[in-house]
Amino acid sequence: MIQDSGIIQGYLDVLARELDFDRSLSRCVRQEIEDHLWETVEADQSGNMLEAQRRAIANFGDARAIAAEFAVVSLARRSRRAGVAALLMIVSVLVAMKARVIWLAATPWAISDDLRALRAIVAAIDRYAFWTSVIVGLASWAYIRSRRIPAAFYPAYRRQLRRFSLLCGATAAALGVSVISDAVLTAFRLRAAELSADSVVAMLSVAIEIVCVGILVFQIRAVALRAASTAALLKA
Amino acid sequence: MLKGHLDMIVLAALSAAGSAHGYAVIEEIKRRSGGAFDLPEGTIYPALHRLEQAGLLSSRWMTADSGRRRRVYTLTKIGNRALAERRAVWKQFSDAIGGLLGANRPRENPA
Repeated sequence: MIQDSGIIQGYLDVLARELDFDRSLSRCVRQEIEDHLWETVEADQSGNMLEAQRRAIANFGDARAIAAEFAVVSLARRSRRAGVAALLMIVSVLVAMKARVIWLAATPWAISDDLRALRAIVAAIDRYAFWTSVIVGLASWAYIRSRRIPAAFYPAYRRQLRRFSLLCGATAAALGVSVISDAVLTAFRLRAAELSADSVVAMLSVAIEIVCVGILVFQIRAVALRAASTAALLKA
Repeated sequence: MLKGHLDMIVLAALSAAGSAHGYAVIEEIKRRSGGAFDLPEGTIYPALHRLEQAGLLSSRWMTADSGRRRRVYTLTKIGNRALAERRAVWKQFSDAIGGLLGANRPRENPA
C-alpha cells in the first residue's frame, strides 16, 4: 500500500502547501484528510488500488477549493485572536502603567515646576487616549465575536473584516498615543534622576507598554496578511 | 441550496452518530439521506472546523485501529441547542412551503 500511495500523497502535498500560511492548520488538515482518503480507499471494493485512490480524490473535491474554505476558517480564527489580543494588550498596558505610578510614588523624584503645566496636558492626553483605546478595543472584540464564521470569503465578510481592522487600528493608535504620553511623563520624572535600579524599573515598564502595542500591531498585520492569502487562494 | 444548509446537515448527522470522525459523518449523511446528498466529501471538513470554532462541536485526536491519527467530533451543549433551533425553523419553513405547494389544504375563509 505504501508503494502505491503516490496519488494520495501528491494530493495531500498540494492541500498542505496551499495552507502553508497556517502551519498548524496545514499539518492538522493533512492528517485528518489522509485518514479520510485511506479509509475511502480501504472501503473501495474494486480491488484496484490506484483506481480506488483516484476515485477517493475525485469524490473529495479540488484541493485548492477545499484549501480556500479552510483558509476562511483560519482567517476567522486569526481575526478573533486579534480581538482578544487587543483586550489583553490594553490590560497589560494598564498593569504596567499602574505599577510604574506606584513605583514612582515611592521614589524621591519630583517633577520640576517649569514642567508642571506641560505634565498636566500630557497626562490629560494620556488619560483620554487610554480610555479611547479601552472603548474602541472592547467594540472591536465584541464586533468580531458577534459575527458568524462564514463558509466562504463573501464580500459581506470582507466588509466586516475591513471594519474590524479599522477598529483594531484605532485601538492600536490610541494605545500608542497613551504609551508615548506615558514615556514622556516618565521622562519628566526621571529628568533629575541618575541611572539606577529604580529608574531602570520605570523605564522597563515603559518598554513593556511599547512591546504590548507592538504585539497588537503585529496581530493586526497578521489578519491583513491572512486575508490577502485567502483572497489569493480564491483567485488561483 | 444544499450548501446553505450544510451546517444543519452536519450537526444532525453528528447528533445521530454521537462522536464521529469526518468519514463517519459523511457516511451518516449519505445513509440518512438515502444517498440524496451527494456533496463533494471535502466540503464537510471545513464545515466541521467552522462549527468547532463557533463552539458547536468539540474535537479530540485518537489513534484508529489502522494506526492512523483520527480527529473525532462531538456535539457540544451549544451545538445541541443550535440544532434544536434549526430544526424548529426548518419545520416552520417546510410546513409553510408544504402549504403553498398544496401538500396541506389551506384553511377556507368562513366569511
